[in-house]
Amino acid sequence: MSSDFYNISILPYAGIIIKLCRAYTNSQEDFEDYYQEVCLQIWRSKNNFREESQWSTWVYRISLNVCLTLLKKNKKKRQQFASDTIHVELTEDSYAFSDENLNELYRAIRQLSEVDRGVILLYLEEKSYKEIADIMGTNTNNIGVRINRIKERLKKILDGKIN
Amino acid sequence: MEKSIENIWKEGFLKSDALLAPKINNLYNQKSIHVIDKFKRMFKINLIAIVAFSIIFLIVSFIVGIPWMGILFFIALNILVMINKKLLTGLEKIDKGDTSYQYLKAFNLWIKKQVSINKRISTFLYPIIFMSFIIGFWFKDAEGVFLGKRLVNEILIGFPDVYLIYGIPLLGIVVVLIISVLLAIFGGRIYQWDLNIVYGRVFKKLEELLADMERLND
Repeated sequence: MSSDFYNISILPYAGIIIKLCRAYTNSQEDFEDYYQEVCLQIWRSKNNFREESQWSTWVYRISLNVCLTLLKKNKKKRQQFASDTIHVELTEDSYAFSDENLNELYRAIRQLSEVDRGVILLYLEEKSYKEIADIMGTNTNNIGVRINRIKERLKKILDGKIN
Repeated sequence: MEKSIENIWKEGFLKSDALLAPKINNLYNQKSIHVIDKFKRMFKINLIAIVAFSIIFLIVSFIVGIPWMGILFFIALNILVMINKKLLTGLEKIDKGDTSYQYLKAFNLWIKKQVSINKRISTFLYPIIFMSFIIGFWFKDAEGVFLGKRLVNEILIGFPDVYLIYGIPLLGIVVVLIISVLLAIFGGRIYQWDLNIVYGRVFKKLEELLADMERLND
């Protein structure tokens, strides 16, 4: 991967990649692995991009797919350490950000299902329902309902925990 | 009033440390170690399976009265296992502390050496295995006579003019020799085919990883 490709085609979207990867990982090590894998897959699939959607949409879609794939692959390993499929214990990544409210929000997001994590992150990134639906491969109405349900769930989880 | 999740998100990411991208390094460390470990596991299982099969075959050959076949088979397969066990020791010596690229390169070199040695062995192995079948059945006891001798006697009744060399029909010797020579010639290819069935996916993954890394280094 040339540094030009990284600087021009990936770095401007590093923010969303970081945000997505953080939502699917519980340690700095995993986060770095996911981030690197996403970058690698974007580079690998650059020739498949047909400009039917924006490059950013393409990047989000690959990022999400890579995160979901890696999560599935690692699930067996993770289940050895957790009694539930969802990690709720405090790991080193629970303190990844200096903003404690943001850490708390991430802890809540990690308790959501894998797909819901992707949906809410795209919503928080102010992507339109259409773009979210496009990335997630579903219809716009479905996304609206789903986002409301996820927000309710997050509110419940965060109840009293935010300063 | 509690903040909305939208505000927490926006404010949280306003801080400069929140979105530091990790450096792209050691990209393939885990992958390369994973591929090689998988190969090692498969290779060890394969060797154990060959030993187990040769022992079972040896026992069965004695039970069904074809001990020569079992013995030759056992010796041939266990020599193969010993050679490959020795090769495996070389694989264990590859330094995991090297960079992924060097590690994979070293592994690839080891694979090439291993394939080349086994191809040469296959030139002898397949004809030996074939001959062990022929010898095994030839010396099988058939009501007090060797099965081979009995077959020759029956052939002689139907075709009394058959030319014999040391009591074996010439035509039979020629056919066995032709098959053995063909097996010797194509032994390497048969081995390669066998290898691809067992390890094909691992080799493909290895090739992809190396190709990726070489492009990355460009």
